Amino acid sequence: MNAMGHLQTLVNGIVLGALYASLAVGFSLVWGVLNIVNMLHGSLIILGGYITYFAWHSYGIHPLLALPAVALLMYALGYVTQLLVINRVVHQPVLVTMTLTFGLDLILYNFMTVYYTATPRRVTLDLGATSVGGIAIPFDRLLGMVLALVLTGLLYVVMRRSRVGRAIVAVRMDSAAAALMGIKVNRIYAITFGIGALMAGATGVIFAMVYPVTTNLTGIYLGKAFVICVIGGLGSVQGALVGGIVLGVIESFAGQFVGPQHALTVGFVLMLFLLVVKPTGLTGIKGYE
Amino acid sequence: MPSFSSKFSSALLLTAGIAAGALTSAAHAAEIKIGAPLGLTGSVADEAKKQEVTFKMWLNKVNAAGGIDVGGTKMKVQLVQYDYQSDGQRAAQLAEKLITDDKVDVLFAPFGSGHTKIVATIAARYEMPTIACAASSESVFDQNSGYLFGTLSPNAALFAPMIALFKEKLPTLKTLAVLGRDDVFPKATAQGIAAAAKAAGLNVAYEQLYPLGTMDHSASLSAIKATNPDWIYITGYTQDLVLARKQMSDLGVKAPIITMVAGPAYKEYVDGLGDLANGITSSSWWHSATSYKGVGVWPTTEDFVKEFVAQEKSDPDYVHASCAATGVLYQNAVERAGSIDKKKVRDALAATDISTFYGPIKFSPNGMNQVRGLPIIQVQDKAIKVLGPAEIKNADLMLLK
Repeated sequence: MNAMGHLQTLVNGIVLGALYASLAVGFSLVWGVLNIVNMLHGSLIILGGYITYFAWHSYGIHPLLALPAVALLMYALGYVTQLLVINRVVHQPVLVTMTLTFGLDLILYNFMTVYYTATPRRVTLDLGATSVGGIAIPFDRLLGMVLALVLTGLLYVVMRRSRVGRAIVAVRMDSAAAALMGIKVNRIYAITFGIGALMAGATGVIFAMVYPVTTNLTGIYLGKAFVICVIGGLGSVQGALVGGIVLGVIESFAGQFVGPQHALTVGFVLMLFLLVVKPTGLTGIKGYE
Repeated sequence: MPSFSSKFSSALLLTAGIAAGALTSAAHAAEIKIGAPLGLTGSVADEAKKQEVTFKMWLNKVNAAGGIDVGGTKMKVQLVQYDYQSDGQRAAQLAEKLITDDKVDVLFAPFGSGHTKIVATIAARYEMPTIACAASSESVFDQNSGYLFGTLSPNAALFAPMIALFKEKLPTLKTLAVLGRDDVFPKATAQGIAAAAKAAGLNVAYEQLYPLGTMDHSASLSAIKATNPDWIYITGYTQDLVLARKQMSDLGVKAPIITMVAGPAYKEYVDGLGDLANGITSSSWWHSATSYKGVGVWPTTEDFVKEFVAQEKSDPDYVHASCAATGVLYQNAVERAGSIDKKKVRDALAATDISTFYGPIKFSPNGMNQVRGLPIIQVQDKAIKVLGPAEIKNADLMLLK
C-alpha cells in the first residue's frame, strides 16, 4: 500500500479513535471519581441510541436536535440511579458496587431487549463523504468526531473551571475532607454518575448515526471502554482521549498490516503490556487534579 | 378416637386425591413435551425470538386442531423453553436439564451452528432426537450421532449455483474479494465461497476474517478497494453487514456485484440500510416469494406467509420458515412412527421424504436436509427479487457499476 493508503489508514484511525474517546470518557470519570466500575455504561449508550432512533424514526427529529434532550434525560436517569440506589453501597469495596451495576445492567439490558427487540436499527441519514487530497472522510464520522471532541473538551473545562468540577475533584481526592469543607458528598456522587450517564447518552446519539443500534453491542462498548481507560490512564478526560485515539489508530494499522482478524488482539496486547510496565496508562495521570 | 364422619371425610379426601393425581398424570401423559433452549437474551436474542415466534405459531395451530395424532390418539404439545442467554455453556446445562429433569420428548436446537453443536453433543449422549432449524455448517453434523437432523441445507449448496449465475450474467467476472466474520457460520461461508470460486476458475484477490466486536471495517475495505474486484462477498451478522455496507459507500468501495450473507435475507438489513441496500445480492435457504405445497398445518407457502404477516405484521425470513418447518417435520415423524418413543421418532425422522410449505425435506446420512435449488436473491427498489433458480426466478441480476 502506498503513502496515500497509509494516510487514509491514519485518518480512519483518528476518526475512530475520537469515537472511542467519547465512548470511554464517562466510564473513566465514574471509575476515577466514584471508584465504581460502571457495568451499565454500554447499555446506557445503547439506550441513548434507541431514544435517538425512535425520535428520528417516529417524529423525524434530527439526531443533532435530539442530542441535548437525550443528554439531559440520561443525566437525570444517572443522577437518580446514583442517589437512590448506588449511594447506598458507594463506600463498599469495588466488587460490591460492580455487582450492583452489573445487576442494574441486566435489568436495563433485558428491558431493552424485550421492549425494543435486539433487531439492529439505524438512523439512515447517510450524509456521504468528503475527499481531502484523496483521503475519504465520511461526514457522519467526522461530525461524530467533532461532537466527541467538543463534549470531551467541555467535560475537561467543567472539571477544571467550574465549582461542581472542583468539588468532584475534591471528593475524588479525599471525600472526608471534602465533606468537612461543606461539600455534599452524596450529591457530588450523584452529579458525577449523572455526567457519566450524560456522556454515555450523547455517545449513543453520535453512534446512532454511525452504527446500528442493537443491544447486541452493549458488551462490546463496555469492553472497549475498559481497554481505552487502561491504555490512556484511568480517571482523566485526557486519558480517555489519548487512549481512544491510540487504540483507534493501532486497530486501524493492525487491520492493514496483520489482518483484520488480529486487529483487536493487538489492542488487547497493548493493554496488557501497559498494565505491566505503566499501570497508570499512557498519560500517567492518576486523577482529575 | 376419630368419629365415623371424620374417617369418612378422610377416606373421601384420599380417594379424591388419588383420583386427581391419576387425572393429572393422565393429562401429563397426553402431552408431548418439546424442549427448546433459546438465546432470548444476549447476542442471538433477535434470532432466538424468531424461533420462539414460529415454534409457538406451529404449536398453537397443532393444539387448536386437537394435537398430534400418535397411533390414533391425539396428544397436545407443550413447549418447555429456557433462555440460555446466548451463552454456549449455559445452553449445554439447560439442554441437559430439559432431557433429565423436564423429560422432554424431543429437542429443538438453538440458533446458529455453534450453539447447535453444543446442544447436539449433549443430546447425543442421551439419544435424544434433536431438530436444528438454524444450523447450516456441515461441521455441526460431522459427529453423525444419528440423532441430529437439520432443516437447512449445507452451506456448500449456497455457492456453486451463485457462481454459475454470476458468471453467466457477468462474463468478465474474474476477481473476487471475501471478508467474513470469525464465527462458525460466517467463517465456513467465507471459506466455502473462496474455495468454490477458486474451483470455478476465479481469482480470489482478498480473503480475510474479522473478529467479533469489530467496530470498523475501513482497513479491510481499503485493502479490498486496492484489488479492484468484480465481486465482493461479505458474510456476518446483520449489524456487521449494515456497518460494512455503510463504510463501503463512505470509502467509495465499489464492484459490479456485492453479496452479503445473510444480509438481504433479513428485513432489518434492508430497513437499516435504506437506499444502500439496493443491488446487494445474497443467498437464502428460503424466501416468501417461493411456492411449495406439502404436509402439515400449512399446506402451502402462501398459507404460512399469510398467517405470519397477519400475526407479526412483517414478512417472514428463512429463519422463521425453517423453524416453523421444524414443527411440521416433527409432527410428521411422530405420525409416521405412531409413537413418541425417541428411537422410533429418530428412525422416522431419518426416513423422512416429504414436501412442506418450506420446501422438500429429505435427510442425507449426516442428518442435513439434502441439497436443493436455494434462492439467490437481490434487493431491487427496496424489494427482494429472486434471481434463481429458474423455477422461482422473478428478476434478472442488476449490476452495480
